[in-house]
Amino acid sequence: MSAPAATHTPTAVGHHEPSKFHIYIQIAMILAVITGVEVVLVYTPIVKWLVVTALVLLSAVKFMFVIFFFMHLRWDKMFCTILFFIGLVLAGGTMWALLHLFGADAGKPLSAVVGLLLF
Amino acid sequence: MSSHAATIDHHHDSTTSTGIPNKKLLWWAFLASDCMFFGTLISTHLVYRLNPPPGNAIPTQVFNIELTSFSTFILLMSSLLMALAVNAIQRGNVRSTRTMLLGTMFFGCIFLGGQVYEFGHFVHMKHMTLSNSLFGSTFYTLTGTHGTHVAIGVLLLGMMYVRTFKPAAGGGLSMNFLHMLAVAVAAGVAFIVFVPGMIEIIYGAGIGEFLSSHAVPLSVGAAACIAMAWFARQSSTVEFGEKNAIDVEAVGLYWHFVDIVWIIIFTAVYLLEYL
Repeated sequence: MSAPAATHTPTAVGHHEPSKFHIYIQIAMILAVITGVEVVLVYTPIVKWLVVTALVLLSAVKFMFVIFFFMHLRWDKMFCTILFFIGLVLAGGTMWALLHLFGADAGKPLSAVVGLLLF
Repeated sequence: MSSHAATIDHHHDSTTSTGIPNKKLLWWAFLASDCMFFGTLISTHLVYRLNPPPGNAIPTQVFNIELTSFSTFILLMSSLLMALAVNAIQRGNVRSTRTMLLGTMFFGCIFLGGQVYEFGHFVHMKHMTLSNSLFGSTFYTLTGTHGTHVAIGVLLLGMMYVRTFKPAAGGGLSMNFLHMLAVAVAAGVAFIVFVPGMIEIIYGAGIGEFLSSHAVPLSVGAAACIAMAWFARQSSTVEFGEKNAIDVEAVGLYWHFVDIVWIIIFTAVYLLEYL
């Protein structure tokens, strides 16, 4: 397990970019706490829309923490962020469109009973 | 001293027209397309949840939110280990990179094992199959696709782990192949047999019964673990080093992506059902 690297060794720490060890640990702790809060939140007797909004916001915060810190978008070129967000916006737009299309009364999927009657 | 004077810039590459390493660009483009893939699967599930047909399964009677919350925590912690693996290789620490990669794989196997247990429990105890309810169809398709992504991620991590042992002198292809085989078998046994068995034991099954009914796969898994330890004891100089940080980071991007997809699934598919 202790085979040395051919070109660089762990002793040459001073010439590498600063370690992000503590940042990662702190973010992981924040993510774990947020997950715990989410689980507690669904059992809390408060208004439903408030819980849904809080859950969506907390998920978005977790999402952003992971992509900007763990996936290094914060330190990478802006083009990586733009490229990923193109896919993300398209996916979000598709979800929004589908949920609204099928949310309308006329667009509701046929129920099993109606489907059987038609065919 | 002079051999280490040139610091590798891990975030920029002056040799490409974009200034971004090509491998990284490829992975980001793939992940952007995968967002759309999961977007359609999640919306399909939600559309049918908002308009449930008669006779649909009742999710809150099927789900085990404690287990799913634990799986979510494990996947988040695996992301931490993956980030630490990238951090270690960017500082040229191959040994630490190996440890973190193994840890990430192990946590990935726990997550997959939880999913194997969950699927088995839903089918055999709750009688919710892929075809007997619309909820089952969309649920298994969505979470199964995500699980497949995690399994591919574990395999990629295994390949990266084995690659860290490639000798600087060249050769060793057959040894690397056998090493990879051992890693794949150990991971497979871990998430198909070992972890689901451990969860069953936590929920009250007998240890003796588990060991006797799964003796063969557990023995194969143990042999694979011993083989992994044997392959890992080599002491020759390896080719892998800080220059390969982009390769570890690329696998890391994929791993973090399956984590963020699960963040969405956990909220949209599981938590919202309890409101």
